[in-house]
Amino acid sequence: MSSTSEIIVEDSPGKRVLLMGNEAIARGAIEAGVRVAASYPGTPASEILETLAAAAPKLGFYAEWSVNEKVAFEVAAGAAITGVRSITSMKNAGLNWVMDMFMTLVYGGVRGGFLIAVADDPDAHYSSNEQDTRFAAHYAEIPCLEPSDAQEAKDMARYAFELSEQIELPVFLRSVTRISHASGDVELGKIEKRDRKPVFDKHWKMPWRWDVYGPPSAVEKHRWLHGQMPKIKKIVEGLPWNRLDLHEGQSVGVIASGIGASYALDAIKLLGLEGRVAFLKIGTPTPLPEKLVEKLLKSVTNVLVVEEGEPLVELLVKALAKDANPAVKIMGRFNGDMPPVGEINIDIVAKAISKLTGKELPSDPQLEKVREEVKKLVVPRSSTLCAGCPHLGTYWALKRALSKFGGKVPIVNGDIGCYEQGGYGIAGKEYKPSFSTESVHYKIEAPYETLDTNYIMGGGIGLMQGEFRAGYGDGPLVAVAGDSTFFHACMPAVANAVVNKAKGVFLVLDNSWTAMTGHQPDPVTGVTAMGEKTKTLCIEDVARALGVEFIRVSDSFDVRATQEAIEEALKSDKFAIVVSRRVCTLQAMRLKQYTRKKMFLEKDTCTGCRLCVSLGCPAITFNTEENKAGIDPIICVGCGICAQVCPVGAIKVGE
Amino acid sequence: MTELNLIIAGVGGQGSILASHMVAMAAIREGLRARVGETFGAAMRGGAVASHVRIGKGVNAPLIPRGGADIVLAMEPLEGLRNVVSFLRKGGLLLTNTHEWLPVDVNIGRANYPSLQSIKEAVEQLGGRMIAIDGTSLAQQAGDVRTLNVVMLGALAATGKLPISTETLKQIIMENVPRKTVEMNMRAFELGFNSLK
Repeated sequence: MSSTSEIIVEDSPGKRVLLMGNEAIARGAIEAGVRVAASYPGTPASEILETLAAAAPKLGFYAEWSVNEKVAFEVAAGAAITGVRSITSMKNAGLNWVMDMFMTLVYGGVRGGFLIAVADDPDAHYSSNEQDTRFAAHYAEIPCLEPSDAQEAKDMARYAFELSEQIELPVFLRSVTRISHASGDVELGKIEKRDRKPVFDKHWKMPWRWDVYGPPSAVEKHRWLHGQMPKIKKIVEGLPWNRLDLHEGQSVGVIASGIGASYALDAIKLLGLEGRVAFLKIGTPTPLPEKLVEKLLKSVTNVLVVEEGEPLVELLVKALAKDANPAVKIMGRFNGDMPPVGEINIDIVAKAISKLTGKELPSDPQLEKVREEVKKLVVPRSSTLCAGCPHLGTYWALKRALSKFGGKVPIVNGDIGCYEQGGYGIAGKEYKPSFSTESVHYKIEAPYETLDTNYIMGGGIGLMQGEFRAGYGDGPLVAVAGDSTFFHACMPAVANAVVNKAKGVFLVLDNSWTAMTGHQPDPVTGVTAMGEKTKTLCIEDVARALGVEFIRVSDSFDVRATQEAIEEALKSDKFAIVVSRRVCTLQAMRLKQYTRKKMFLEKDTCTGCRLCVSLGCPAITFNTEENKAGIDPIICVGCGICAQVCPVGAIKVGE
Repeated sequence: MTELNLIIAGVGGQGSILASHMVAMAAIREGLRARVGETFGAAMRGGAVASHVRIGKGVNAPLIPRGGADIVLAMEPLEGLRNVVSFLRKGGLLLTNTHEWLPVDVNIGRANYPSLQSIKEAVEQLGGRMIAIDGTSLAQQAGDVRTLNVVMLGALAATGKLPISTETLKQIIMENVPRKTVEMNMRAFELGFNSLK
């Protein structure tokens, strides 16, 4: 008997197991004998390093949660320079942080195999955007592998290290949510030994190999990088993940990359077109297996390109068609034959193939009508903070503190973490666009309407300074961020605020963990990815060292104290930091720091004012018929915030 | 049966994803091919969660096409309905827990929670059938409300619609729940299984 964490480290080639795409990528790296792994958490990529970190102590390699993706990238790149195999993994947005190092590292390449595994998020399920990172691999002139399922994710991750050493360049693996957060049966391979000795030679095969400024010049190193491409193109032509299935008499072809290939195969089956359309499965969207593409283009009259994200393959195929067969018609997302934004799926692909081939999709218009009718019954389930979440206390305190400024219009700048839900709004409520030329005050009905701006990690504190510099005077300026985000991206902006004399309140919601991505440790946690005890950094100490003069610390569960700290900060004529601190409730319960007490509500005392409901805790219910609030005993964790909110003392701690 | 398309739906924290993985692991143990596609929001808890499980020789993509689900197994009635509306095929089954987890939208008075009766009628209008059990109470009876997912898996096994043996599924559950809770989870499985007998 064995759980997945045990299976991952098992050297049992041929065994078939269920693995999540991210676990499969990790297993591929383990099979390849990876020595160093570094990452920063980000959904849907986090499980790659989580899996590696759990395996690392058992197999004797190193894994870390770095402070941000850029540092993680550099840790892995440094290891690869010494000739050992390394991996860095990140979500789509994480790649934006590493672009500087990424675009420059490729000028000298690597000595040990270096895998850059990136999980994109089409449909932005867990992300601020839908960006397609395959373009970054194209831009950097390195090969991109794109798996169509968990088996390929494992096999490609394993092969990436070999390829990387062959071409002396990093190799890019592009996953998507439907690979990373999907699972499939995977046949395991053999685990290679990781006993390679790290070495260093500064003129290895090229003078000043690891110094872009070293002679002859960066341009010469770019020339070397560019010169690797013909070799890479030759290699990808023969890879098993690029396959052409073409038969006599087929006039329609489908070119499908990555997860797109899985959708296309199922769509072809749904339409009963098996064997009737030519099929080119792509495992390397850049560079493409050009000979296979040209062979297909010369044999058919119509081609549909199926890929997740932007039309990268489609545009590259169009370029090849210009010489191979200018008459061939190429359809895809660029041409608008499939939606240009959002995620694709079997239904969307089937519709496009149906249009291309004239083969009709099975349909039941009567049933579709009923579906539309029944849909009206379905109530939205807005995303909420957890019952007993410390952020509920902080947001309540912030709302109360800001309300003291009457009709003024504050700007609360958000950031990335669980607390970003403070800007998710309420799904069941209609928000209309406004065309006012003046600042507009909106009532905050629930904590989910607190944040006014939100983009990226560390973005809020910088935006706040711009609002201040613009001379915004219609209300107070606030920025919020979590503990992990503080270290990831906020420190330069704090220093900036201090030395450039900006004003505003920076509210740090410190819950001791990178909670949203599944509780990875960060610099305030006191533990490493591999489970070792380590130094705990303190946010107020860092702020003090950066020259911040106004600093207050409060307990997020003490609503009044937190409110007072924020009010004081709002009144301060200096840049002010308030650290609202309380360990994440889910972790506290897991670590048994809470007695399983529950709150209860005295119905006779409750006046039905709904103030507790506007706290936004999912454990607080409201019965419209009785006009009384209630507490769901299954969800309640007994944090006591609601008891502090109730104006008539109807909520009490139960046994 | 050549292929089984199953959706396990619930609210984040109810264990639907682990349940879907356990069904897929049991399928693989019996030599079948399996795919699981998870859909869940950004939040750790309290969000709508659905896991698509596809079992059979010809499955490739991890998501079930519209109107392609044979069964929707729901840890929570509204989440069952949400998935039935888009995915349940004609003749399909909704097997749901009756215990409601009210969305904040309902609590703040922005939406009305549909009654179990109206959900049943909706399923029937779509040419499907609904079986409802009080899985939450059964889980509490087994010893912990967190065994709800296993109670529901027991009920699912009792429908006889899984292309895998009940013994294999039980074995997989024993291997994947925390060691200290094996006995309690087996009790939960039996309670769920027997509730349909």
